[in-house]
Amino acid sequence: MPDWRQEIPSREELELLQLERLQSTLNRAYRQVKFYRRQFDERQLRPNDIQELSHLARLPFTTRADLSHNYPYGLFAVPLREVVRIQSSPGTTANPVVVGYTAGDLRFWRELTARLYRSAEVSKDDIVQIILAAGLNNWARDLKDGAEHLGASVIPFANLNFAKQLMVMRDYKTSILVTTPSYARHLIDVMETMGLVAADFSLKRAILVAEPLTPAVRDEIAAGLQVSLSTAYGITEVLGPGLAFSCPENAGLHFSEDHFLPEIVDPDNGAPCDLGVPGELVITTLSTTAFPLVRFRTGDIASLQAEACPCGCPLIRLGEIVGRCDRIFSVGGIKIHPDQVGSAIAEILSGHTPRHRLRLGQDAGLTYLDIEIQMDENLFSDEVKCLEAIGRRLRRYLRENLGIDSRVALVEKISPDPE
Amino acid sequence: MLQIRNLYAYYGKIEALSGVSCHVNQGEIVALIGANGAGKTTLLNALCGLVQARGKVTFQGESLLAVAPEGIVARGISQVPEGRQIFALLTVAENLELGAYLRQRRRQRPEIAADLEKVYALFPRLYERRQQAAGTLSGGEQQMLAIGRALMARPRLLLLDEPSLGLAPVIVDSIIETIVNLRQQGVTILMVEQNARTALSIADRGYVLETGRILLSGPAADLLHDRQVTRAYLGKDYKEFTEGR
Repeated sequence: MPDWRQEIPSREELELLQLERLQSTLNRAYRQVKFYRRQFDERQLRPNDIQELSHLARLPFTTRADLSHNYPYGLFAVPLREVVRIQSSPGTTANPVVVGYTAGDLRFWRELTARLYRSAEVSKDDIVQIILAAGLNNWARDLKDGAEHLGASVIPFANLNFAKQLMVMRDYKTSILVTTPSYARHLIDVMETMGLVAADFSLKRAILVAEPLTPAVRDEIAAGLQVSLSTAYGITEVLGPGLAFSCPENAGLHFSEDHFLPEIVDPDNGAPCDLGVPGELVITTLSTTAFPLVRFRTGDIASLQAEACPCGCPLIRLGEIVGRCDRIFSVGGIKIHPDQVGSAIAEILSGHTPRHRLRLGQDAGLTYLDIEIQMDENLFSDEVKCLEAIGRRLRRYLRENLGIDSRVALVEKISPDPE
Repeated sequence: MLQIRNLYAYYGKIEALSGVSCHVNQGEIVALIGANGAGKTTLLNALCGLVQARGKVTFQGESLLAVAPEGIVARGISQVPEGRQIFALLTVAENLELGAYLRQRRRQRPEIAADLEKVYALFPRLYERRQQAAGTLSGGEQQMLAIGRALMARPRLLLLDEPSLGLAPVIVDSIIETIVNLRQQGVTILMVEQNARTALSIADRGYVLETGRILLSGPAADLLHDRQVTRAYLGKDYKEFTEGR
């Protein structure tokens, strides 16, 4: 466990630290990023008008659309020469999300990810195996870096099938498994078909990332792998998974508020929500230098709990993510906007977008996107082969561009929503 | 130990500090770095009550801003001003005794004598020259004297303004060594430096100031590592950044 008394001496000192870091972040954003300067100027504000943490509410939100408009480098706050990593993720609009990191940002991020591991009681003596989908490459890299920074022995993500992964897990005596809830369930499935049981492995703990974890799935995985579970929360726009993390008490996620300021707001009118009331999570970065974000709307619905946690960590707790306030949904941990699928269909059908519906499907624990496309006269073809090709091309397009698995069916009439 | 929130300071109508928030923990060495005119010295002077300032400053839990300069010294903050500002015509020993001015009035003679011994132990050169007029000392010796004089007030927090200014590199090294020594003896240090590399090499944390605002803060090792970034924020590369693209 981290020594919290050393990292965060008291609530009062934490708040001063947050204020200091917030003010310097705003000074930098105002000075270096035209977008933020305009946001201030339009409201006749200056960075030094933000004298308390609560004054942050005077500033407007930053949305995914703002990131898209400023694609690719518009929101960078340091010269590109100082940027050592440029990371992009598919995002949820037409443009990918591009995030830059200075060497210092990466260093600080590794420390934060290592803290996530320490809070999950992972140490130098552990063997950490990371199994994540290709669409979660950024997460896989950060989780690898953090575990290496901690000094654990890391088996990074590799393009192996699940049976091989299980063989590695057994033979290399992996003690910590890092994966998504759907992958964990699938691994349990594969174990059964291979005739393996939990006792064949040396696993102590699974750290489940990228997807919300329902109590039923939690119990299923804990029983199937015979491990304790930890979870972590993050969004691609501020790099990976160290944003919030569970502790041994498993009562919500501790939010890294020494480096990111959380707010919960009403998704409809933007008004702040009281502690304990669920609303949209809004994040302001306090420590990153290359890519500061001011009041970024995550779209995730959760609440903040101020009561002290029995684990001794003074960081405020974020409740489980209970949903989204936009149409973005997650396919095995990869966030997708329905419009992205719509434009993929249009791309395949040369501009034509027939009626379609999207559902999540499950196959042996793995999540895939189930797409039904309604036939119409534009689409109708005598050649069955052509119709098959549409499905094949769409599946490939989604795999290559968004990193998700899908199944496509062309139907006469799309099935109605179940009640 | 020292907490500063939204500090503004003025020279007449000119705003020299525009809402600075920072802190110093007990036992730390904290460096304030920045170019000329960034407001570093103003910050120290505001702490000592030497310039007009508003905001919230607490030292060991007590508010500091309404306190007169001598009251601030009495609470345990001493400043070593930029350019030493020693009394050139007085002897070294007299300069040091003046540092204990407030304590003289409180009749703490034995303690003062003991502290004088400590300062001489820290700076043997000052002992050798104790009867010499301070103005005849070399730059490095004068800096030692200025630090020694501040120590005579038994500060808990020592404010150092440009301790390396105008000194030869080898002298700078010995001054830096002294600062590290002082910290080991339990003195907390807030130092201002234009020479960022020197300051950050011994500091725990640092703040980068520019035109009265803090632009960056963090562990000194990180700031030292990110000198490039720091420089970008210190003005030189800024034009290149916004106009070159």
